Amino acid sequence: MLEVSDITKTYGARTVVDRVSFSVPKGEILGFLGPNGAGKTTTMRIITGYVPPSSGSAKVAGFDVQDQPLEVKRRLGYLPEHPPLYPEMLVRPYLEFVARIRGVPRKQIRPRVDRAIERCGLQAVAGRLIAVLSKGFQQRVGLAQAILHEPDLLILDEPTVGLDPTQIREIRSLIKSFGGDHTVILSTHILAEVTMTCHRVLIINEGRIAARDTLEGLSARGGGGRRVLVRFARPADGAEAGLRALHGVAAVEAQDGGLVVEMRSGTDPREEIAALAVGRGWGLVEMRPITLSLEDIFIRIIRGEDAAVAAGPEGPAVQAGGPEGPAVEEGPAA
Amino acid sequence: MRNTLAIAAREVRTYFTSPLAYVVIGVFLLLSGYIFWASLVRFSELCLRFASNPYYSSQLNVNDMVVRPIFGTMGIIFLLLLPVVTMRLLAEERRTGTAELLFTCPVTSGQVVLGKFLGAACLFLTMIGVTVTYPILIMNSGAAPDMKPTLAGYFGVLLMGLSLLALGLLFSSLTDNQVVAAVSAFGTFLFLWVIDWMASSATVTLGALMSRLTLGLWEKFGLGTAGPTLGDLLGSLSIIGHLRDFQKGVIDTRDVVFYASVIFMSLFLTQRVVESRRWR
Repeated sequence: MLEVSDITKTYGARTVVDRVSFSVPKGEILGFLGPNGAGKTTTMRIITGYVPPSSGSAKVAGFDVQDQPLEVKRRLGYLPEHPPLYPEMLVRPYLEFVARIRGVPRKQIRPRVDRAIERCGLQAVAGRLIAVLSKGFQQRVGLAQAILHEPDLLILDEPTVGLDPTQIREIRSLIKSFGGDHTVILSTHILAEVTMTCHRVLIINEGRIAARDTLEGLSARGGGGRRVLVRFARPADGAEAGLRALHGVAAVEAQDGGLVVEMRSGTDPREEIAALAVGRGWGLVEMRPITLSLEDIFIRIIRGEDAAVAAGPEGPAVQAGGPEGPAVEEGPAA
Repeated sequence: MRNTLAIAAREVRTYFTSPLAYVVIGVFLLLSGYIFWASLVRFSELCLRFASNPYYSSQLNVNDMVVRPIFGTMGIIFLLLLPVVTMRLLAEERRTGTAELLFTCPVTSGQVVLGKFLGAACLFLTMIGVTVTYPILIMNSGAAPDMKPTLAGYFGVLLMGLSLLALGLLFSSLTDNQVVAAVSAFGTFLFLWVIDWMASSATVTLGALMSRLTLGLWEKFGLGTAGPTLGDLLGSLSIIGHLRDFQKGVIDTRDVVFYASVIFMSLFLTQRVVESRRWR
């Protein structure tokens, strides 16, 4: 559905997007994740044809964005970061105007606008002036504008900004309902959003793709179970040394009132740890595996520490922050 | 076409839901109405004074004394008011981010520019449409104006107004700031008016000017120093100057072509500017 190849965008000497390539199959919801200023918005603008790339190309449904912009734009729904609203218009006339310039056939304008109003929960405000609506409602009008012509490709730039928690939930389920028939690209810097709505994630940082993975793949990078936290009721001085002496234990570190035990790959010394604690009478009260949350993984990827995380099963230390470069799968050989 | 009309219709709707249209039309009607009334009063005074003298009273002509000055005044008022009408057209879209909507819709930049122009033209037509009542008001009086020169005057005023709108739209496309758009359009309008005054005093011929600029080379090639003066050149650029013939009731193709080219060039340049701004 969407094919982005080798897109670069420079403003003067500043490179905002640096050789980004990815593709999205039909019906998939792709999360576009990255800190502010990472180049998410610029990449999306290039896909919509609003901003031309400095080099590289983007294809939507086989049409090149630069060569056949009208064909691309016909298949596109776009909600920019700031919803593009005319404050002096009423909600319904505004949506009808958008439907007209989006090329919705005259007879279908009414039903389509009605449907968009219903889907975005705008019935109560359909006759109100856009200027007087709350931020949340304005955001929803922006979303209604993007979906009313049932586009093949829906591009949403931070769609849940400024909404309250209930609205966010509604918008998320709305976006989810678009997957399957439509292809959705969603940018955000909120991880929970990605977890709840997206099939795949693309992490972008400083204009480059830092990681791309499925959600499961990303969680797996948390290195599930390679580290355990043990807590004793009566911690003795010898506990740390005792644990370190066990076969299969790589390192022990005091943290949060307990001990973090680093396990050697291919071994599982948890039984021995328990036996030792019982034998010495330390009073084992807690033993749980430490997995990195999505947030941690994200921050690691952004900081360029992901090489160490990805190396989890083989590499001994997690926090070593390997000497390798930051790039995981991408990263031009510059 | 459909897209152009949709954009024009939205533009008209915006004009008339904001106070702008009413203020602009109101101010225009107030000023042009006053001039109409004042020249009518003066005309009837003169008629009364010379009523006993058949020679003088036959010289008094309602077209010359009432209709013609109105068109001249309208031209001046347009110079001052139309920048306000055009300033927000494209500048506002950029500032509020709605340009991102327009240019990600299956609409070409030419359609956007033309739609904006038509929207402003609708407001302008409403504005001068109301003044049609002026000649109609005196139609049944003894001072009925000649219809043909009046219509020619309207045609001229219409062309001039559309030229100013197109120029104003060009300035609106160049900036995100409405005030900057208005002031630069206003300055240009004034300049195009002011060169009309210079025109009469600049009596040096273009040939002589070229000769001086090229240190005599011009004359050596036998190109001559006769011909049109600099004033003629400036005069033919004056946006008010071309209205004069229309005011007299003469439709000269020179004037029509001048206004048509200003409109076309401005709209063309606006489309190029809109297109090129995407690349920055």
